[in-house]
Amino acid sequence: MIRSQFRIRWIALGIAVVLVAFTVVLAVQTRSQPSVPRLVLEHASAPQLNLKTLDGKAVTSAQLRSKTYVVNFFNSWCIPCQQETPALKTFYDQHKSEGDFAMLGIIIDDDAPTMRGYVRDRGIGWPVLVDPKGSAALDYGTTGQPETYVVAPDGVVVCGTLGPSSVAELNTWLAAARAGQQCT
Amino acid sequence: MHVIDDDRATMTRRKLVPWLALALVVAVGIVVLAVRSRPDNSPAARAARLEQQLACPVCEGQSVADSNSPQSRAIRDDIPRRIAAGQSDADIRQYYVSRYTERILETPSNSGLGIIAWGLPALAVILGALSIVVAVRRWSRAPRLEATDEDEDIVRRAREETDGGERHPDDAHPDDGLPDDSSPDHEAPGDENGP
Repeated sequence: MIRSQFRIRWIALGIAVVLVAFTVVLAVQTRSQPSVPRLVLEHASAPQLNLKTLDGKAVTSAQLRSKTYVVNFFNSWCIPCQQETPALKTFYDQHKSEGDFAMLGIIIDDDAPTMRGYVRDRGIGWPVLVDPKGSAALDYGTTGQPETYVVAPDGVVVCGTLGPSSVAELNTWLAAARAGQQCT
Repeated sequence: MHVIDDDRATMTRRKLVPWLALALVVAVGIVVLAVRSRPDNSPAARAARLEQQLACPVCEGQSVADSNSPQSRAIRDDIPRRIAAGQSDADIRQYYVSRYTERILETPSNSGLGIIAWGLPALAVILGALSIVVAVRRWSRAPRLEATDEDEDIVRRAREETDGGERHPDDAHPDDGLPDDSSPDHEAPGDENGP
């Protein structure tokens, strides 16, 4: 009888230890928000693009072949997007004359008429693409806006960030992409 | 002899009835479950099911079906297109996993920590069943109480009081002076003349 009582106590103790361990594991499982896009981490190829600009011109991946290009997802109502725009403008002005360089803005969760006004008011000079079905955003696996991706001439997404980027970051990423380097 | 055989057959049939009833209930339950769990494979039903199976990639605790985030809305628009293009549910899920990792799946994965989520309920059921088996076996093995001489004395005295002194021969005690069936003086009726 005493032996069986001891056995039950040991079993209860074992179950308690397992439960405590499980609770601790769950408690320390923090969902940290990544700042580097998954495509960059996986050194993945850039998704195919087949969209139209606000002016109705078609833009495809084929036109971007052998170029180093920057893709920026943004919209008019997102405050970090608005804060990021001056840096993007400075960066674009620095490189727009370079033949192997391209920059694209892709609208995420906003309508074309509003975006036309926003682009005009902010003096955005790079092509802004309409993504009415959100397919480009899904293909890139966006989790918000702004998000920026830098694609190397071989079509691999080498650098980028979730959230606003600075001129210095953009220049570093462009140099890395041209040098065939990954940012991660 | 025939009467005994008939009685035995009746008893056997009576014993079988509950088991047959149980088997019938289980069979009907399995059929109902099988019919009810057969998924509706219409495009709309598949889309609705996939929306429930995918987690909103930018929210906490909401499925794509419940969320109004831009990404969830884009996924809701995208799923019917993929279904129309002939992609299977697994293909569609895999596409979103490739874009948003396995965190987009509402069901836990069958690897890593996900195994705990799948395994714990199964382990609990197995442990519960084992506990019941062990408990039942322990109860069935528990020794029956045996009456001590003292207990028998108590019963005998109680019977004496209730029967007003009349005793059954089996109640005879060696020390109580009553005639004992086993004594040689005792004769069964009709035995007076002997053999």
